[in-house]
Amino acid sequence: MRERGGRRVAVTGMGAVSSLGMGARAFTAALREGRSGIGPIRQFDPEGFERTLAGEVADFRPHEHLKRITPEEWGRSGRFAAAAAAMAAADAGLAPEAPALRDAASCFGTTNGESQIMEDLAARALEGGAPALGSGHAARADAGGIAAAASAELGLGGEAVVFGTACAAGNYAIAHGYDLVRSGEADAAVCGGADASNRATHAGFHRLGALAEDVPRPFDARRDGIVTAEGGAALLLEPLEDALARGARVYAEVLGYGMTCDAVHMTNPDADSIAECVRLAHADAGVRPGDVGYICAHGTGTRANDSTETAAVRAVFGDRPPPMSSIKSMLGHTMGAAAAFGAVASCAALHEGFLPPTATVRDVDPELGPGADPVPQARPGRPRVVENHGFAFGGNNAITLFGEVRP
Amino acid sequence: MNPTASRSPVRAPEAGQAARRPVDIVACGAVSPVGLGLAPLAAPGGPGFAVGNGAAEGAGTAEYPPVRVHPAAYDPAGILGRKGLGKLTRTDRLAMSACALALEDAGRTAPADRTGIVLGASVGSAETVLGFLHDTFTQERPYLVSPSDFPGTLMNSAAGRAAIRNRLTGLNATVSGGPLAALHALRYARTALLNGRADRLLAGAAEELSPQAAWMRHGELAPGAALGEGAAVFALDAPGAPHTEAEGAGEPLGRILACSIGFADPAQGSDAPARRLAACVGNALARAGAEPGDVALVAPGGTARAAQAPVERKALHAVFGGRLPQELDAAERLGDTNAAGAALALAAVLARWREEGPDPASGRLALITAVGPDGSVGCLLARRPLPDGPGPDTSRARD
Repeated sequence: MRERGGRRVAVTGMGAVSSLGMGARAFTAALREGRSGIGPIRQFDPEGFERTLAGEVADFRPHEHLKRITPEEWGRSGRFAAAAAAMAAADAGLAPEAPALRDAASCFGTTNGESQIMEDLAARALEGGAPALGSGHAARADAGGIAAAASAELGLGGEAVVFGTACAAGNYAIAHGYDLVRSGEADAAVCGGADASNRATHAGFHRLGALAEDVPRPFDARRDGIVTAEGGAALLLEPLEDALARGARVYAEVLGYGMTCDAVHMTNPDADSIAECVRLAHADAGVRPGDVGYICAHGTGTRANDSTETAAVRAVFGDRPPPMSSIKSMLGHTMGAAAAFGAVASCAALHEGFLPPTATVRDVDPELGPGADPVPQARPGRPRVVENHGFAFGGNNAITLFGEVRP
Repeated sequence: MNPTASRSPVRAPEAGQAARRPVDIVACGAVSPVGLGLAPLAAPGGPGFAVGNGAAEGAGTAEYPPVRVHPAAYDPAGILGRKGLGKLTRTDRLAMSACALALEDAGRTAPADRTGIVLGASVGSAETVLGFLHDTFTQERPYLVSPSDFPGTLMNSAAGRAAIRNRLTGLNATVSGGPLAALHALRYARTALLNGRADRLLAGAAEELSPQAAWMRHGELAPGAALGEGAAVFALDAPGAPHTEAEGAGEPLGRILACSIGFADPAQGSDAPARRLAACVGNALARAGAEPGDVALVAPGGTARAAQAPVERKALHAVFGGRLPQELDAAERLGDTNAAGAALALAAVLARWREEGPDPASGRLALITAVGPDGSVGCLLARRPLPDGPGPDTSRARD
């Protein structure tokens, strides 16, 4: 199926720091059960907000996961990234400072960077004015620390780069890791996304009227918005040939990706641009629409996203689109981590043979057209190619494609 | 025209060894404390000499920390127009102005769907993010913030808005990483071009000097150093992209031979980042088939930063021994420009080359370095244009 040159790229490790559990295995098990990670906001003071639910990682104890870095020296997003990266490396059978990791790259996506540090600085400035922004804390506010935390935890010597392409950023990070490994620029890459629950994001979506009253219900006729959420997810990418040679478990192969920019509006999605993004991803991976057995949707649960995304998919796939579900129904919207969680779900779907559900959908929106299948409950399935969507404010669209690897 | 109706086909990418080919810098847009474009960057003197309206936007007042500050000397309305300017963040204005200047300089020769934008940033606009947060604390309800401010709190605001303004639907990315941000943007853009992801990318970085950003950044300064702001964006062309053939290509400003970025946790030993940077420089030189002695000009990025300057010194000493190339200290003139630092340093190198004209005797290669507080280090190796145009690239011989 492949047309591009270069090395084939395998996913051999996965990590998840999520409201649904710690580690890719716990995360995947929760997806199968359709569990919800949504609960009351605890990461910031919810007083005065009308919507007070979020998908927070309630039981994250960084010291249990981070052995080399001092968690207090990094922001919460960086701690998520480092823990997810450590899980992914361990899952791939690679210890910190393993030779395969020595020059590995760290690529992470984020929407809000170290948002809790910015929030803390803003709170200090309320009391102390602008000079309070000069606390030692300020040096940790840079979003670049997210990838650096993962590199420091695993002793990686390659580039540590953060993508700030908002809610598509996780796919940007995976796509870059893929290009680095495929082209021989790196022999391994840890890539994914991380974001922390924070006041500014919640307030922004609240003000836009984009927050759901209780849980997000993507593709439902009465869907009413997103629930803000947090977490970190990571994949370990390495050349397929190396992975097979060392007898590693291969979850999936990265087949390729596509990216477009709407260049129309900062916050409204654009169906034509998304459809083109799907086509570019298919062309890059050398697959036809009929090869795609499952789509892990961006599926935020807003009226605009889900209808636009469905229209774009129909423009490419015609009247018989593949099953397309949203794991945000369980996780909420983890922002810069969202597409990375989608990638973990996609690889698990290929490896374990199941379709993750849109667990909260009750009545599928008839306006989404005939034959729409948002997978109301997890079910067995054998997709051979899975398509993972990530779209963002700023008009950034990024789609990654994963394929089954048969021994 | 529907931007998605006429997309050019994806071309097969280069891979493996071929991906080490250089990319041409065909144009540059720069906004800095010394003014617009490359010319003032090549002129002698600091901001005090060249600034027209440098005191713009409140610098030098009590709002700022007690260090010298060099705001960008430019009139954004003159570049972007007045309409909608109030909705843009300070970082948006800088980055969008640099993109507009680069695009004007380069001409619209590549198709819009194969032309994209890659921008480096630190936290985005500190002024907008902190102002938005301030509102969540002080409004009657925390969500009674301005909805039109919200997109500006995101790091990708500038790249998204620049794409809208210029109708560029190709690859659009924003990368972050403190003083490494500009190198990340240039390396990412280079990788994308060599992998066939776009034909032309406007790549660079921006950093603002709002009072908020200044207070956040001033603690990292070396004694006596200044804070600056600005943006530099370069039009980079994929080798062999159709528009480069059709154009009969003018002289590029320079060529990126290699960009190598690494990481070494400072907690694992204070020498680790310096050793890693020296290794990155060695790697970049090896890729270009060059020796340290071929480097005629070095532009260190960390000269204005207390903790990073010694790391950079040590690394450069390890590479060059006692025979340091001539140094171009952009931060001394412009102040420390954090995320934009390496981009403005590259712009200053190109400005000097253009000013000097083709002069093989003074050496062809320039090295730009950057060091971050978190352990990220990196460098970019550029080559000045040859007297008779780009010509064949002998540097590939050793790849």
